[in-house]
Amino acid sequence: MSEKELNKFGEGVGFERIRRITGYLVGTVDRFNNAKRAEVNDRVKHGV
Amino acid sequence: MIFTVKKRDGREMPFNIEKISDAIIKAFRASGELKEQIKASQDQIDLLGHEDLLSSTALKVAAYAVGRLEAEGKNKPDIEEIQDAVEKALTECGYGDTAKSYILYRAERTRIREVNTRLMHTLRDITFSSAKESDLKRENANIDGDTAMGTMLKYGSESAKHFYTMMMLKPEHSRAHSEGDIHIHDLDFYSLTMTCCQIDLKKLFKNGFNTGHGHLREPKDIRSYAALAAIAIQSNQNDQHGGQSIPNFDYAMADGVRITYRKSYLSNMVKALILLTGKTEEEIQPVVKKLHTEMAEMGMVATLVPNEKFVEAEARELSKTFDAETVMKAQKFAEKMAYEETDKATFQAMEAFVHNLNSMHSRAGAQTPFSSINYGMCTEPEARMVMKNLLLTTEEGLGGGETAIFPIQIFRVKKGVNLNEGDPNYDLFKLACRVSAKRLFPNFSFQDAPYNLQYYKEGHPETEISYMGCRTRVIGNNYDPTREISYGRGNLSFTSINLPRIAIKMKSVDLFFKELDRMLQLVSDQLMERFAVQSKRKVKNFPFLMGQGVWIDSEKLGWEDTVGEVIKHGTLSIGFIGLAETLVALTGKHHGESEASQELGLKIIGHMREFCDKESKRLGLNFSLLATPAEGLSGRFVRMDKKKFGIIPGVTDRDYYTNSFHVPVYYKISAFKKLALEAPYHALTNAGHISYIELDGDPTQNLDAFEKIVRYMAEVGIGYGSINHPVDRDPVCGFVGVIGDVCPRCGRSEGHAISEAKIEELRKLYPGMPVFRGVR
Ligand SMILES: [Zn+2]
Repeated sequence: MSEKELNKFGEGVGFERIRRITGYLVGTVDRFNNAKRAEVNDRVKHGV
Repeated sequence: MIFTVKKRDGREMPFNIEKISDAIIKAFRASGELKEQIKASQDQIDLLGHEDLLSSTALKVAAYAVGRLEAEGKNKPDIEEIQDAVEKALTECGYGDTAKSYILYRAERTRIREVNTRLMHTLRDITFSSAKESDLKRENANIDGDTAMGTMLKYGSESAKHFYTMMMLKPEHSRAHSEGDIHIHDLDFYSLTMTCCQIDLKKLFKNGFNTGHGHLREPKDIRSYAALAAIAIQSNQNDQHGGQSIPNFDYAMADGVRITYRKSYLSNMVKALILLTGKTEEEIQPVVKKLHTEMAEMGMVATLVPNEKFVEAEARELSKTFDAETVMKAQKFAEKMAYEETDKATFQAMEAFVHNLNSMHSRAGAQTPFSSINYGMCTEPEARMVMKNLLLTTEEGLGGGETAIFPIQIFRVKKGVNLNEGDPNYDLFKLACRVSAKRLFPNFSFQDAPYNLQYYKEGHPETEISYMGCRTRVIGNNYDPTREISYGRGNLSFTSINLPRIAIKMKSVDLFFKELDRMLQLVSDQLMERFAVQSKRKVKNFPFLMGQGVWIDSEKLGWEDTVGEVIKHGTLSIGFIGLAETLVALTGKHHGESEASQELGLKIIGHMREFCDKESKRLGLNFSLLATPAEGLSGRFVRMDKKKFGIIPGVTDRDYYTNSFHVPVYYKISAFKKLALEAPYHALTNAGHISYIELDGDPTQNLDAFEKIVRYMAEVGIGYGSINHPVDRDPVCGFVGVIGDVCPRCGRSEGHAISEAKIEELRKLYPGMPVFRGVR
């Protein structure tokens, strides 16, 4: 295998998941307090 | 004999009877029990001074208390034992009233001690735990609680809350707040600031302004307009505890585009004439410049959409020096090039503006300013260019394709302006939907909702509806009905009521309304108390907000003047949380489930609004009703209520109370039904409101559905609305969209690595891909 195939990137790097809570966008749910996190998890989608 | 006493921390100290008698003196002063005797002794010109009567009595009581302790064999008493003895001594010596005030004094000391201990615990938590573990540090998601300055802010904020609770709030307000009946928002800024302000950029730019670090002149092109707009937001942030909103971003930035176009047209006209005539710049430039200056003095200037008056006059004048065909060619060239250059400059200006608002710091570096901008209704070509480019740069994302967190963008929707095909800004409405479907902004505000339309006067942008941050709305003005405008005004402070608790406690609807009235009055009194504190602040305390004339009428005040009169234009808002849980507690069903509950919900919120209107009349101020956004609050209330009342299904069985009047997020309901149910509450909550719809998947794939929802919002009378959908991003390959377990672009799953070879291969397909750290 070539060096470029052996060189790996992204180990331990998560996806950013932007969510809006109480009006503000935050790049990661980690920075929400517990209540807000629970609210985000409970959300159901609305049918159109 | 007593020689030593044991202190609370366990240390032994030499006994000193004067310490005991000092405390007793304080109690005598508080009770006033010796007043008569002291007066009598003064009248007799007693050889002993009146103070001496007080201290000699106190000393006697202290000696009596010590005698009691010794009789009980307590030779090394602790503080509590001494205080018990003093209490008894006072009673037994016949000073009943003083005994009572001594007991009160003791209780107060205990309370202070306990709160001090709590403060120390809080400070310890801030010092030693990371934001990941500490809920406190994550209270405000936009402040990084892990940085040094973020921590310093938190120390200040917690200590200030502590101080105000102990020293400034009336005990009944303090108790209602700490027990969770109400929530006084931004308590840490209680004596310092007001919440927010809608900044009229046009006025601010007119004469330039001073940020406190030097004077900035009136901006001279669109780039400096945008840069100054960001600086204005940043400067104002330090004078307030809430957010900054620009109500007229389209109108204000249009001026910058006009100037940029004029300059660009001039330089391109010079270029064209040089090329077409073979003359030098030194020969051409002064001629054209002089002509343009003279024409400008007569009110004729080059405009983005060429105006005949200018074009003809310029052609006529230039034809005196150059031949007519050359002039016509030069004009066409200059128009085309100036348009392109201005468009490009505007895009760059908007790109930098958004970038600045996501990276610039305020408040000792720990926080990005809370910024909102409203736009959408200005139909001038220059404003349209601003809006188009702002939306395009927002769609593109920040440098690495990230979604911008700020500013909150609000697209103002109005029939005849942008909502329908054929409307002059319809193209921008479509674009706004497309961008929001990708980036969550802009939100949409609705000018035609009757309660917004009632203030609107065509040709007066200051009467257009504006929203701030997550929902604040300030437009009506009971204090001065001739100034029902958004510019220069904002919210002063707001306090929210824990509605579910009232319902849980009262059980019946009748009793609920009685207790609600009591709570409304309590909050109104508390807001007035705070208003009195705020009124005493001076212009110099707000060097930007008041010193630069941002707040309405503040330009008429001097540096040392108090702001009491001008802040009467602001609003005092009563908020609420958890209407859904309230309805479940009262009727068993929330308003999404039952028509009867919806009816009761409207009755409750309508009643609260009536109260606000009544208070406005009574006090000559602007009381308004707020659909509280619940930042940091919904969890606090429910936590306390769980402890008090246990788990009640549908009421206290989750970690949060539902936001304001919203149908609960966990309840399955169609987007249209949700909006129809929530719209009537928008009409009642005049301090601000918003409704959210949650969409599944990637709405950019179904823009029709997205637009349909926005149109439905307009139809049912929503004032301010927004659509949520997942926006995910893979920082390794830069993909933005919906990511399930696996990234659709590079195929990696969360936390897994991909090879450099794969990255190179992807870069060929997606040249705009960000460079991931470590990749060459
Ligand atoms: Zn990827």
